[in-house]
Amino acid sequence: MSGETKVPVRDLAVKEKFKLSKFLVKWEMILIYILVLINIVLIVAKPGLYFTNGTIQSIIQSGMDLSPLVLGMIFILMLGDIDVSVASTMIVASMATGLSMDAGLPMFLCVVLGLIAGAACGAFNGYLVAYIKMPAVIVTISTSMLFRGIVKIIMDVNVLKNFPSFYTQLAWTNIAGIPVSLIIFLLISVVFMLILHRSTFGRKLYIIGNNPTVATYSGINVEKTKMIVFILMGFMAGVASIFFVGRMGGGVSSTMGTGYELDAIAICVLGGVSTNGGKGKVYGPVIGTLIMAFLIYTLGLMNVDANSRKILTGFILIIAVLIPNVNKQLVAAIKLKLFYANNKNIEAVNIKAAEEIKNYRDMITAAKKDAKMSESDKAAKVKKYEEKIVSVKAKCKEQTAVLKSELKEDARKAKQRFSN
Amino acid sequence: MKEQKTSVFKKITGNRNFGLLVGFVVLLIVAAIITPSMYSMNSIMNMLRNNAVYALLAVGSMMVIITGGIDLSVASTLSLAGVICSSLMSSNMEVPTFVWVLLGLGIGIVCGAFNGFLVGYLKMVPIIATLGTMYIFRGFAFLASGGKWWFPHQFTEGYANFAGGRFLGIYNILWIVIIVFILAGIFLGYTAPGRRIYAIGTNKESAQVAGIKEAKVTFLAFVISGALAGLSGMLYTANYSICYYGMGESYEMTAIAICILGGVSITGGKGKIDGVIIGFLMMSVITYFISLLPGLSVWQDAIQGAIIIVAVAINIFTERAVEKRVLKERGALI
Repeated sequence: MSGETKVPVRDLAVKEKFKLSKFLVKWEMILIYILVLINIVLIVAKPGLYFTNGTIQSIIQSGMDLSPLVLGMIFILMLGDIDVSVASTMIVASMATGLSMDAGLPMFLCVVLGLIAGAACGAFNGYLVAYIKMPAVIVTISTSMLFRGIVKIIMDVNVLKNFPSFYTQLAWTNIAGIPVSLIIFLLISVVFMLILHRSTFGRKLYIIGNNPTVATYSGINVEKTKMIVFILMGFMAGVASIFFVGRMGGGVSSTMGTGYELDAIAICVLGGVSTNGGKGKVYGPVIGTLIMAFLIYTLGLMNVDANSRKILTGFILIIAVLIPNVNKQLVAAIKLKLFYANNKNIEAVNIKAAEEIKNYRDMITAAKKDAKMSESDKAAKVKKYEEKIVSVKAKCKEQTAVLKSELKEDARKAKQRFSN
Repeated sequence: MKEQKTSVFKKITGNRNFGLLVGFVVLLIVAAIITPSMYSMNSIMNMLRNNAVYALLAVGSMMVIITGGIDLSVASTLSLAGVICSSLMSSNMEVPTFVWVLLGLGIGIVCGAFNGFLVGYLKMVPIIATLGTMYIFRGFAFLASGGKWWFPHQFTEGYANFAGGRFLGIYNILWIVIIVFILAGIFLGYTAPGRRIYAIGTNKESAQVAGIKEAKVTFLAFVISGALAGLSGMLYTANYSICYYGMGESYEMTAIAICILGGVSITGGKGKIDGVIIGFLMMSVITYFISLLPGLSVWQDAIQGAIIIVAVAINIFTERAVEKRVLKERGALI
C-alpha cells in the first residue's frame, strides 16, 4: 500500500485571505491606536505646543538614539537570548570613534572603526554564548561591566569632544520636515524586515528561537547563526553610537547611556517580540520606538521626573510581557481555582452543562426565526427547551454538590489516615 | 555491584570547593606579597564589614539562582528598604531599632513577593520580570526619598550600632551575616522547602510530577531573596550612616558574581552555602586588594566583569568534564 499509491499533492497555498476584522485587532494595529491615543492626549494637554512648527520633529528625534539597539535586539530576543550589554557596547563604539578622531585619522575611517569596535564587542558576547554555551544573561551582564570598565580605564573622567560633524547634523536636522534620523531608522528597519521576513536567515532565527534542538537536527548551524546575530547586535550598537553621540551634542563620558538596554528590551517586548524566542515581527518594535518617544516626551511635558518615568518603563515591560498570557487557558485556570475547588471533574460537569444550555439557547433562537411553524408551535417548543435548560442547570448543581461532598469526604478520610 | 574505593586525597581534590580554596589561598599570598598592610585584624574586620551587605544579597540571589531564575532587583530593593527605613527613622528617633529591622524585612518581603508572583504564578521570564521591577523599585526609592540624602548626624546611635557596634570584638553586621549563612545552610540542606528549591532547579517537570508545587517554591525563593535584600538595605544605612536613593547600584551583579564564584550553577539545581561563603571571602579580598593598589580603582568594574566570565567558563567546563566522566563510568562513552 505504501509504495504504489499516489501521494496526493499537498496544497501549500495560503488560503486565508485578508480580513479587515482580523487586521484591525492585530497587535501592531493596537500599538498604532496607542500611538494615536498618546498624540490625542498631547494635543488636548498642550494644543499650542503640539501644532508649533518643530515639536513633533523634536519628539521623534528624542526617541531615535536607541532605535538601532531596538532593531538589533529583535534578532537577539528572537533567538531566545538577551543582551544587556548593548549600552556599554554603544559607549565602547563611541569611544573608539572619539579616540581615533583625536588621533587625527580621516573621518570615514573613524566611523568605520567605531562600527568595528561595536561588532568586536558583539563577537565576544557571541563567541561566549554560541560556542562556549554560556547563558546569555550572565555573559552580557558581565560584559556590560567589562566593556564599561574598559571605557572607564581608558577615559577615566575625561570627556571626548572630537566627533565627526555629521553626527550632530544627523540627530538634529530635518529634510522637508521629516527628521533625518527617522528616515535612516526606517531604511534600516526595512532592511531588517527583509532579512527577518523574506530570507532564509530570518526563517532560521524563528526555528532556533522555537526549538534549538530541532534546528540543529534540521541542519541549521545554530552556533554560527547565533554568532552572526550577536555580531549584528554589536554592529547595530555601533550604529546607535552615531545617533547617540549626535543626540548628546558630540560629547561622550564613560557613565553615559546607562539604562538604554532596558529601554531597548522594553520596546521590543512592547512590540510583541517574545522573550522566550521565536515570536515577533519587526513592525511592532518600530511602532513601539515611536510610542516610547511620544510617551516619554509627553510625560516630560507633564512634569513627571526621570525616575518616575523609569517606574513607568518597568511597568510597561512587565505588562507588555503579561498581555499575551491573558488567554482562554489562564481564564480557565482561574475559574478552576476559584469556582471548581481545584477539581477537574467539577469543571468538566460545569463545562458540559454550559455547552448543553448553549445548544438549547441556539435552538430557541432558531425556532423563533423559523417561519414555517405556527406561533403556538413556536411557543410550545421554546417552553420545552426552556424547561430543559432549567433541568440541566439543576442537574449540574446537584452533580457539583455531590462531587464536592465526595471531595470533602476524601480529604477527611486522608486526614484520618495520616493522623493514625 | 563493585564498591568503588576512593582515596581521601581524591575525595578532597575532587570537591569543587577545593579548587576554590586553592584559588583563594593563592590570592591571599599574592595580596600578602604586594600589599602586606592588608593583614591586620583591623583591616580584615573593616574589609568584611564593608562587604557584609554583599553576603546577604548573595545568599538571597543563591536561592533564586538555584531555582533556575535570576534576581536583578535585589539592589533596588535594598535601596527602597534603606530609604524608607532611614527617612522614617530620622523623623521618629524614639522608636526602638528592632522596629526598623522588621520594617526593612517587611519591605523586602513585599518586593520579593511581587517578583515571586510575577515569576511563579504569572510565569514571566525571571530576567525580564526582575529587570522591570529593578527599575520600578529604584523609582519608588527615589519617590520615597524625594531626592534627599541622609547624613550620619541624622541617624540615632542605636540604629547605627545595630550594624557598626561590636559584640565579642566582631561587628554586629558580621554576626548577622554568620547567622544568615548558618540559617541558609540549614534551610537549603536539611528542610523540605529547601530541598524542594533544588528539585525545582534540577528538573521542573520531574519535580511537578513528584508533587512539588513549582509556583509556590519559586515564590518562596523570591520572597527569601527580597527579605534578605530588605534587611541588607536597613543594614547598609546603619553600617555607613548614609542613605540616598542611588545607593547600592549594580550590587546585584556583585551578588550574582559571588554566587557564580562559589559554584552555584546558573542553570539551576546546583550550589551550596559553603561555596558561597568562600566566594564571598574571595570577592571581598579581591575588591579590597584592588582598592589598596593606587590608581587601580577605575579597574574595579572591568575586573569584576572578567571574574564572572572566567568563573562561569570554569563552571561550565568542570560540569562538562563531570558529565563526560559519568558517561564513561556507565560505559556509554567509548
